[in-house]
Amino acid sequence: MMNDEDMRSILKCVRCGTCRSVCPVFDVNGWESSSSRGRMLVAHGISQGLEVDKGVFDSINTCTTCGLCEEICPSGASPVKVIENVRHQLVLQGKMTDAQKLIRADALEKGNPLGESKDRMAWLGDSRNDLPEKSKYVFFAGCLASYRYPEITKKTFDILRKFGVTVLEEEVCCGSPLLRTGSDPSELMSKNLEQIKKTGAHTVITGCAGCYTTLKNDFPEELNVLHVTEFLAERLAEMDLKKLDLKVTYHDPCHLGRCNGVFDAPRQLIKAVCYLEEMKSNRERSKCCGAGGGVLKGYPELSLELSKNRLEEIPKDVDYLVTACPLCRTNLKRGGPRVDVLDIIDLVEMAME
Amino acid sequence: MQKSDLLIKLQEIVGNEHVSVSAAELYCYSCDASQIRGMPDFVIRPVSTEQISKIVSLANENEIPVTARGAGTGLAGGAVPVEGGIVLDMSAMNRILETDLDNLQVTIEPGIVQEKLNQALEPYGLFFPPDPGSSAMCTLGGLIANNGSGMRSVKYGTTRNYVLGLEVVLADGTVINTGSKASKSVAGYSLTDLFVGSEGTLGIITKATLRLRALPKERSVLLASFDDPEHAGQAVVKVLSSGIVPSACEILDRNIIEAINTFDPKIGLPKAGAILMFEVDGTENTVREGIEMIKDACSTLATSIRAASDKKERDEIWAARRLVGAAVSRLDPLRTRVYVGEDIGVPIKELPGMLHKVREISEEFKLPIMTYGHIGDGNLHTGMCIDVLSDAEWEKLNKAADKIHRTAIGIGGTVTAEHGVGSARASYLELELGKALDVMILIKNALDPKGIMNPGKMGV
Repeated sequence: MMNDEDMRSILKCVRCGTCRSVCPVFDVNGWESSSSRGRMLVAHGISQGLEVDKGVFDSINTCTTCGLCEEICPSGASPVKVIENVRHQLVLQGKMTDAQKLIRADALEKGNPLGESKDRMAWLGDSRNDLPEKSKYVFFAGCLASYRYPEITKKTFDILRKFGVTVLEEEVCCGSPLLRTGSDPSELMSKNLEQIKKTGAHTVITGCAGCYTTLKNDFPEELNVLHVTEFLAERLAEMDLKKLDLKVTYHDPCHLGRCNGVFDAPRQLIKAVCYLEEMKSNRERSKCCGAGGGVLKGYPELSLELSKNRLEEIPKDVDYLVTACPLCRTNLKRGGPRVDVLDIIDLVEMAME
Repeated sequence: MQKSDLLIKLQEIVGNEHVSVSAAELYCYSCDASQIRGMPDFVIRPVSTEQISKIVSLANENEIPVTARGAGTGLAGGAVPVEGGIVLDMSAMNRILETDLDNLQVTIEPGIVQEKLNQALEPYGLFFPPDPGSSAMCTLGGLIANNGSGMRSVKYGTTRNYVLGLEVVLADGTVINTGSKASKSVAGYSLTDLFVGSEGTLGIITKATLRLRALPKERSVLLASFDDPEHAGQAVVKVLSSGIVPSACEILDRNIIEAINTFDPKIGLPKAGAILMFEVDGTENTVREGIEMIKDACSTLATSIRAASDKKERDEIWAARRLVGAAVSRLDPLRTRVYVGEDIGVPIKELPGMLHKVREISEEFKLPIMTYGHIGDGNLHTGMCIDVLSDAEWEKLNKAADKIHRTAIGIGGTVTAEHGVGSARASYLELELGKALDVMILIKNALDPKGIMNPGKMGV
């Protein structure tokens, strides 16, 4: 099951334990198997015949793939890659949890991991009949935004369409939930890729951090991908935004910030409309909201604790917690924040009124 | 007693959620950062001294090994249950029980992480000085049980200097308190000193009262470059004999310099055969004076000398140095740092000679050996990176490590200055300690007649 390259990437971990100081899951659980070092050991154990039982799943599947361990790992190990690879190898052997099965079945059968059968593009409303077939830019809404946040998604697209952006005819899940939980996303990716080509777009724009990293780094063909904040930060001069008398803080989504280095664009947008005060950990060292990597679905209680820990880092006296990913927003709201959690587009729209 | 019956008993003591027999969990507790392995039968995360006393009593009655573990960052297998049995993961006992500001003392549970303790003390202008590279994750219990130290030991000494008293669970479950809150006490044998550095072979430390120091107002860092490590070693002897006590004095050889620059290119250390990193702390005046005196002492031997320009640069250099042990793995994607033979200590005057010997050993075995460490107190870390999938490289590594150990002992040094003996270096204790090891064995047998406390460690 394991080739030399995979084995070397596991053995790159020298077990120094530095990851114990940052792994948000370990911080909550406290058992070694829930630290990144522990997961690397479990990965090694599996290669040596460790029986795959609940303990193995709970170790391997509780990683949110936030990548903070990788950011600080002195020996240059890549725990997230190893963990995703192990998940994939186990799934190939039919070894997966109910949550993993559900995510896969829903994403492949219904085109979204939420199990929704409704019209995905309903959020478009009246705009539906008025879309250019061809455009240089196409907006990829994502599952959560389409089904759970139709209003923000509409607001986002209303801003984007002024710049000539179109949408896909039949967008399906980007594949991120499958990829992070070990299943094969290629069928979904092909469907999306085919449609992206049809629009003739050279750039895909998304407001979701999970979609962003998947479109950018995991698709079989290279795509030019922008987060909506990157697209808008370049067009601030054309947007006529007014200043709001607000102080907000910003949560860096791991898959947008740490994994892809998009730190400045969201901050540029926020600073253009109000005052920004950073959270205790931010940018490269930002703590995870707790939702990613299938953890929200598979381990909702753990995910809630992770969210609460992140919310403790909100500075005093801010009016809102702003983020730039619907999954982060969902989980941060679950944690019971003392201030409301806004999508960055909510804030931009407030400044447009 | 059957394993299943023991499990029930242990669950009764600590509650089901605090005991694990999951194969994945046991696997994770079967090692630390060393090459030593041992599979536990149970992992327990106790939360009180009372629980530990009951667990140890039960283990003693049934002759089951008990191995205490802090964060498992050890480099000698000290926390590895080489004979199976129970691993006590102490990290859930992590409270600060009392901060006694007027007496400059703190009483803690052993599971607290060094950095978290110091973060809690900082607002009071106090700190606990021993400062290992693993301070962000290692626990105080582990530091005490290993008498750990780190980069500031040249000025501040080792953990031993800061332990005033301990609460210890002995092998039969008895709980004793050693030491005193008085800063001096000669009442009886110094049992505190016996347990500090005993690596869990005599008892389980469940509480500690620590002496603190006031945080220095100023710190400054100086980097001196040399043609080779031997010249750097001579400079250290000169600096220390001129009467300056730097708060840190570290050596980095050519490969380590490259590793740090690879890990964080912003730092841009000068290319040299070796660099000495000095830190001086104290008041503004003493720091300025100390830096000048070090510059003078190094002037004839160093090829260049520069001071860190500001606090940011100083902190970056220090942060990178802290992580360098593992960062050497980054130099070659096919090689991984292996902690073997990595912690010798020699008398200061022997340093240049030992550095030369390390170079010879490196050439003899055709194995790159990187040298870094707390040269100010004669503690050298020798870093070897190998292709861990090659048996031939493992053989070379073990032979080189053996030679390094024997060379250090031969010149009056030690096989371990701060990382501990554990299982990794147990076989050298007879050579290093002679008949003193017999006394250690007598003490061990008196306190732990059934040999349940961390068996297979320290040569006892």
